[in-house]
Amino acid sequence: MIRGTNHLWLLTLLSLALILAACGGRQQNANVSSEAPGEMTIYVSTDRVFSEPILKAYEQKTGVKVNAVYDTEETKSTGLANRLLAEKNNSQADVFWSNEPVRTLVLKKRGVLAPYKSPAANGIPAAFKDAEGYWTGFSARMRVLVYNTKLVKPEEAPQSVFDLADPKWKGQVAIADPRFGTMSFHSAALYAELGDQRADEFFRKLKANDVHVVAANSVVLDMVARGEAKIGLTDTDDVNVALEDKQPVAMIFPDRNGLGVPIMPNMVSLIAGAPHAEAAKKLIDYLLSPDVERLLAQSEAVQVPLHEGVEPPKNIPAINSFKPMTLDYGKAADRVEDVTRRLQSILGL
Amino acid sequence: MGAAINNTAILRRTPFLPSVRTLTIGIAAILFVMLCALPTIYMFVVSFINADGSFSFANYRLLLTESRQRELLLTSIQLGTGTAVLATAIGVPLGMLLARADLPAKRFLRVALIVPLVLPSYMLALAWIYVGGSAGLAAQLIGRDLLSRWTYSLTGAILVLGLSLYPLSMLATEAAARRVEASLEEAALLVAGPRRTMWSITLPLIAPSIAGAALLTFVLALSEFSVPAVLRVGVFTTEVFTAFAALYDFGAATARATPMLALALIAGVVVNLVVGDRWLTSLRSTRTGLPLPLGSWRAFAIAGSAIVLAFAVVLPLVVLALEAGRLSRITTALSASLQAITNSLLLAVIGATLILVLGLALGYGRGRARTRLKELVDLGFIIVFAVPSTVVGVGLIGLWNRSGWPGHVYSSAAIIVIAYLARFVPVAALILAASVRQIPKSFEESAELSGASWLRVFFRIVLPQMKTGLAAAWVVAFIFAFGELGATVLVAPPGESTLPVRVYTLIANTRSSEVAALALMQALVILIPLALLGTLASNGGKR
Repeated sequence: MIRGTNHLWLLTLLSLALILAACGGRQQNANVSSEAPGEMTIYVSTDRVFSEPILKAYEQKTGVKVNAVYDTEETKSTGLANRLLAEKNNSQADVFWSNEPVRTLVLKKRGVLAPYKSPAANGIPAAFKDAEGYWTGFSARMRVLVYNTKLVKPEEAPQSVFDLADPKWKGQVAIADPRFGTMSFHSAALYAELGDQRADEFFRKLKANDVHVVAANSVVLDMVARGEAKIGLTDTDDVNVALEDKQPVAMIFPDRNGLGVPIMPNMVSLIAGAPHAEAAKKLIDYLLSPDVERLLAQSEAVQVPLHEGVEPPKNIPAINSFKPMTLDYGKAADRVEDVTRRLQSILGL
Repeated sequence: MGAAINNTAILRRTPFLPSVRTLTIGIAAILFVMLCALPTIYMFVVSFINADGSFSFANYRLLLTESRQRELLLTSIQLGTGTAVLATAIGVPLGMLLARADLPAKRFLRVALIVPLVLPSYMLALAWIYVGGSAGLAAQLIGRDLLSRWTYSLTGAILVLGLSLYPLSMLATEAAARRVEASLEEAALLVAGPRRTMWSITLPLIAPSIAGAALLTFVLALSEFSVPAVLRVGVFTTEVFTAFAALYDFGAATARATPMLALALIAGVVVNLVVGDRWLTSLRSTRTGLPLPLGSWRAFAIAGSAIVLAFAVVLPLVVLALEAGRLSRITTALSASLQAITNSLLLAVIGATLILVLGLALGYGRGRARTRLKELVDLGFIIVFAVPSTVVGVGLIGLWNRSGWPGHVYSSAAIIVIAYLARFVPVAALILAASVRQIPKSFEESAELSGASWLRVFFRIVLPQMKTGLAAAWVVAFIFAFGELGATVLVAPPGESTLPVRVYTLIANTRSSEVAALALMQALVILIPLALLGTLASNGGKR
């Protein structure tokens, strides 16, 4: 009896060790064969539901196998930017596809990216391209105000982010944690545009107005849709998901006559020391094509095309129909660390 | 006779050649340092290096000067202690009932009461928001929002974590209560009533087990990220996360984890001082303890178990099911995740088995250690276990992502298994050390005296007596490995995805109904194999 159990135990162990060995071996072989041009690696922070179909379509079209690592820049993980930084000395990724500008610019500053000016980006306005070619913007989202249509009448709804500091919305406003994700871009942009003093003052007023600082933009949307807050600050794609779901919400482009609407393009970059640089460039060309912008516009992500002549998504006006926040993305991104520290103390995070 | 001579020959062998026993423990110790401790050590080295490559204390100076650190320390202590107290308060009575009392459907009750430990903790937090948020179910039922103030608070986080971690205390109590020497209690009953016997004899005898479980709960609560993050409570883990995610500063992030490790260390020392070397160990008995005469309290006990079951298991599952709305959402999520499910199950089985092997050698070494150092070894296990998963993940990248064979390991699924080992070998080692200490040394000595080699003694005498401990350690390692997210998300090779990573990358910007469906699906995937294992084990027991 005892002898029997022992044998079983050893057998299990042995078989598992074998599986592990086989598993490792298979992977190593895959790694060796990945030297061939038929395979490449991309790190993607654009939501997987939207990015995966596009990469699959590219695989089908070209036969190149695209190995993807997905992540989001929400507050649940530390994101791909940290992984890229940690892997810097021995790059594993060929391409980084980011869903917002800040991470890309941090990576540029830390020497993780390599320049590549794609011919496919010719139709994209210069404001959305890095002069040195370290990144190229495409399909953009906007930062928007969202309100609960059951609790707020359209004529009462705020039209500017500065209205959120109005005492009449005390305790009724939700924003995502400004240290992370697109809200960190938005706050850095406000600091870059307004200067420290006015921006500090705005956030102090928000704090005095008992603003709810929540984990993510999707949570902001959820709170507004449930009526836990009347107004929130979030991204176009979050609102669109709720609109498609027939939730009682509506969106407003903030400051479209004043400061301008903050625009966040996706950004694609070549990685310095990319193991498959040539394949990487081809994929970048594809991602910057009008076709991909069309797909992203038609998806639930409702991302606004930057190429002229590509039809805008149905719930969102075209990019030239409102005033964009005139913004130097590099300048805004340079402010992120300092702004994070400031807001940490102002908002008591 | 020949065997005896042979044995003395072994005893007299030159001290320069290590025995198989020493060699096994030595190799295990080296593997532990390389796989589990080195990623963290690497990160601490990084935290002392400036951007320009020079040595610097800057990251730690910040730690001492920032006023927010004091607040974080206070909140973290409250969260850890509160959770440990709540989990113990729920777990100990339940454990006693399961061990001693005559309750209906006890086997089912035990399995059902373990469920919260298996559920991903973010799922419980999510369920509580759906109930206790300002527009949650409770507010809808009452018509007014009374709960949200409590949901999004330290109290809420303690409640959620306490309800998710009490099974540890319950299982430890039950196991210990079953092993108390019955004759001690019988003797006490001659002079005192059952209640006094319980308080003065039984509970003190099982106190070390309870304290050990409370310590584990404290460390788990301290290193928990998703619950405080979702319920907006600022603790050390969220602070470490911020340093990574908002500032991209590996050194500062690692430095920010030190107060947490210090807290875990202090908790370990305190428990060690209170119960001495006996923690996580218990006495051994040939008979199970005395039955607990509940009398008129029986109904009360049943109601109490039912309440815990309702709040910790039924409520979260029902709430998530309501939020998910349709069964088809769950089956869709399931069928789209088949690849990730197979990956996760395979990797978790391999991981848990390797964790068991390494933990067994370490636990045996610790359990049979004779030096004063053995308590330091325990503390070492606790500290390594308390290291935040992100620190482990980034450390693993720094160590393994280089050209040559480490790079091949890094770009294969083996790195995920290494991440599991790095995080969970210490727990297995602690559990198995306790299990080893329950086996009287005299068994091994007499077997060796009759000529058996150490390997033979180990496999024929020691292992068969550790069956329960081995099973417990494997299941705990499997549950932890299956749910691991923080380190896996950083090191998982392109294309390889585990279920938690997949669910997590899908839930951003998804409808709450789909988030709930994904969470439920993840719960089902882990519950089904465990239920099967449980059934197999109980059938095996009967046989």
